[in-house]
Parts: sequence; C-alpha cells; structure tokens
Amino acid sequence: MKNVLHWNPPEGLRGVEVTYTVQYFIYGQKQWLGASECRSISRTYCDLSAETSDYEHQYYAKVKAMQETKCSEWAETRRFYPFLETQVGPPEVALTPGEKSISIDLTAPKKWQRNPKDDTVSMQQIYSNLKYNVFVYNTKSRRMWSKCITNSTLELRWLEPSTLYCVHVESFVPGLPRLTLPSQKQCISTLEDEMSALK
Amino acid sequence: EFRFGPCRVEGVVLPELWEAFWAVKNTVQAQDDITSVRLLKAQVLQNVSDAESCYLVHSLLKFYLNTVFKNYHSKIAKVKILKSFSSLANNFIDIVSKLQPSKDKDMLSISESAHRRFMLFRRAFKQMDTEVALVKAFGEVDILLTWMQKFYQL
Amino acid sequence: MKHLLMWNPVAQPRETVLYSVEYQGEYESLYMSHIWIPSSQCSPTNGLECDVTDDVTATVPYNFRVRAMLGSQTSAWSTLEHPFNRNSTVLVAPRMEVTEHGLHLVVKLEDLGPQFEFLVVYWRKEPGATEHVKVVKSGNTPVHLETMEPGAMYCVKAQAWVKAIGRHSTFSQIQCVDMQGESLPL
Repeated sequence: MKNVLHWNPPEGLRGVEVTYTVQYFIYGQKQWLGASECRSISRTYCDLSAETSDYEHQYYAKVKAMQETKCSEWAETRRFYPFLETQVGPPEVALTPGEKSISIDLTAPKKWQRNPKDDTVSMQQIYSNLKYNVFVYNTKSRRMWSKCITNSTLELRWLEPSTLYCVHVESFVPGLPRLTLPSQKQCISTLEDEMSALK
Repeated sequence: EFRFGPCRVEGVVLPELWEAFWAVKNTVQAQDDITSVRLLKAQVLQNVSDAESCYLVHSLLKFYLNTVFKNYHSKIAKVKILKSFSSLANNFIDIVSKLQPSKDKDMLSISESAHRRFMLFRRAFKQMDTEVALVKAFGEVDILLTWMQKFYQL
Repeated sequence: MKHLLMWNPVAQPRETVLYSVEYQGEYESLYMSHIWIPSSQCSPTNGLECDVTDDVTATVPYNFRVRAMLGSQTSAWSTLEHPFNRNSTVLVAPRMEVTEHGLHLVVKLEDLGPQFEFLVVYWRKEPGATEHVKVVKSGNTPVHLETMEPGAMYCVKAQAWVKAIGRHSTFSQIQCVDMQGESLPL
C-alpha cells in the first residue's frame, strides 16, 4: 500500500526552476485536499501513502507546475483503488534444515509503514483469503514441484540428505486481477544422513 | 462459489467478471465527472451480515440488470466495452437466477435491513440525472465486485 | 474449454467467400434482442469454423448467427437452431505424468487453462487401500502429492474439473510408481 504519485516535468522548461503542488481527492467526498508534504516541491514524485491509507476508498490525485508567477493547468490521475491495485509482496521465508526434511516458516507481507513506529498491519488482515504458492527445487535431480498452502508453515519430509534445495514463495489473493511478486530464491542443504555420518 | 449467507451460487468465475470490468474500467470511470458522489457508499456495503448479504446482492444485481445495464447499453460506442458489458450482464443474470433469498417471516427484520441499505443506493441513483447516474453506477462495478469478493470461496 | 462454431460453405466457385459471426447472451436476448455482438475471432473469417470460447464468458444460453459475404453482397443470417450453454461441454480426461522424486510422489498435469482444476486420486497399491483425494488448482507446475513409504507401489488417476460449468471429465488412465529408496534405520 505504498502509493506514490509520479509525473513528468513540463516540456521545454529544461534548466528552469519549476516547483509542483499536489492535491488529492477521496471519491464521493466534497473537496480536494492538499498533500501537506508536496506543496511547492521541486521533485517529481509525491508519497501519498498516508493520505490514501484507507484502502477501501477510491482516490484521485492532481499536480500543477509553477514557474515564477505562471502556473500550469492541473494534471489529474484516473480513479485509483488501493484495495484492488496494490501489489501484494512476497512473504518472509525462513528455512530450517533437518536430516531429511526442511521446515518452511512464512510471515505474511506487511502493509507498508511510512513511519516505523506505526502499528504493523499484516496483509493477511486486509486480504483474509491470502494464499501462498511454495515452489521447491531439488538441485541434484533438477526437478521442481509446488504446493499451494493457506497457513504459514510447511514441513517438507522424506527429502534426500545432504542435498541442496531451493525455495521461493509467491503470495496471491484468489480472484483478484493482480500480478504476483515471488520472494527471493533461498537455498539450503539438508543435513548429512546419520547413518553415513557414523561410518 | 459464492456464499451469501444461506444462498450459494456455483458456476460463476469471479476472475472472469474482474477481467471483463478491468478491460473497460479506465474508459468508463473517466466518463464520470461527478466525483463528489459515490452511489455504493460505505453505509450500503460495510458491515453487511451474512444473513443480509443474500437479500442485498439480489436487490443490487437486479437493479443493475433492469436499470443500469438496460439503459447504459445505448451509450456504448466501442465493441470492447460492449463485450465486457455483455460478460458482466450475463454473469449477473446467472447469479440472480441462482440466488434464492428466503421469504420466511422470521427473516423479515433482516430483509428489511438489507432493503434499507439498497434504498440508500437507489435514492442516491434517482437523485442524479439519469444519464450521469448510469455512467457512475457502471463505473462503480469494481466497488460492487470487491464487496462480492468477500463472499467468494475458491 | 474450447467451443467451436461450425457451418457449411456457400458454394461460390473461384471466389473467396468471407463469413461473419455474431452472438448474444441470455441478457441480450431478454433485454435487447435486437443487439448482436461481433465475435472476437471471426468478424470476418474465410474459414468454416469459429473459436467462440472467449465470447462465451457466462454459464447462460448463447445464440449465434453467421452470414456469408462476397464483395458487397451479404447473405441472410443463419442462426444456431438451439442456444448453446457451456454447461453442456464434454470434458476429456487430462494427460498426466506421475514421477517419484526420492520418496515424493509428484504429478504433472496438462495445462488446460485457468478455468481447469484437477481432482487427483492416489493410493498405496495394497488390499483395502485408502484412496486420497487432492484438488490441484493448475496444470503448469508439478505438484507434490504425498511423501511415501520406501519399497511400496503407489497409483494415481486424475480427472479434469471446471467449476464454472459444474462438470468433470472421466478419469485418466491409472499410473503406478514403485517407490525405491533405502529402508528406514531401526
């Protein structure tokens, strides 16, 4: 839910000092509101995450350029719906190896926090039907298989000992038209087989 | 399948509805200039109990079929919008045909509560110029589908 | 699922006849019967069939019509005798590949598109075996079914399932896999 408005500088004003002012509008309400941190700024983006944090609302944003005494028309966005259009990041993945097993612990992705002191909100609270696709790749046999799970732990048992397995996980919300973002691939080796260790 | 309280609806693929609306969302919503009015307000759709949901979705979808889609149709110029419109309308007909809201007397207070919510939406619609209201209602199908999504089980 | 509309050619020697296909769903036929929508794939086409799968996007009756066009001349419309509902689709058994990764029973199913799920049934080949059932959401990645006992044989069969039309295919051929692997330490 990190919602940042980006725009291009006006053409033909290269090298000229231009500043910008941003406003936003909550669909169904009465007036445009100023984005407090984006008044007469020179950068070409504005973080509106705080202003658009109620993800069940829909929003518009607009920006205008000012140069000395002149200012441009407002340039307005289309209707933006955070609940639908946010991209759900991957979960945090923790792997713990066993002799012939790997435990996978997943932590649901978190709603983006502008201020680290803000309360943490799990995306699971926002999307109650959040699910995960776990992909497991055996580097020795070069074979991959997947598993779709809802809870946050998965025990892979009866693996081959002393074998490097790679895992990546995607979170997805069934039914919504959205691209998934896979997690970083993590690889871990199962422990040595006790029997061969004793020889 | 959808589970609106006691009402079950199988055979409707929600991603198909999303795909249909997604294809025309920006075009349709850009036609809606009255951004200060939202027909499907929070009071219509928030905190709807399971028991109410069957009555409410039945009323809303029938209104969309009999009023919104029926009259919006003549405004469609592009074939792409016509196809999305057709996909949404035909899936809404499928859902409505499978919804059986209970007529038991002990459900009266619940159905009346759902009716009050629906009337909030309908009143807001009727207070606007019809042409403008049609465009706005069609543009708010994403709000409707997002609410319906809460009752969708994979 | 794949839905093809087919028709007979209009005899016109040494001429290229084009055909145009249009459809209307139950909504159009009930509320605005004069409205027909050009098919995504065949408006026009010079073939004698049209893939209307992307046009049929609801489980309701659809009417189809086709007409021939030669230069500026167009024939009358020929309309499908009975409306088509995709819930009459006949599904064929899916192709399936069962493999054994170490002691893992893994199945890879044919990718038939987003609407398809698969009911996979597997069991240990022994008298009185219990059948296990798993729903596999999509066909493009191998799916882990179960972790197996070494030295046993396991069998698998699968059927395709389309929730949108509430229909499933017959079961595939049964495939069995012998679980190698060392015996467990006592």
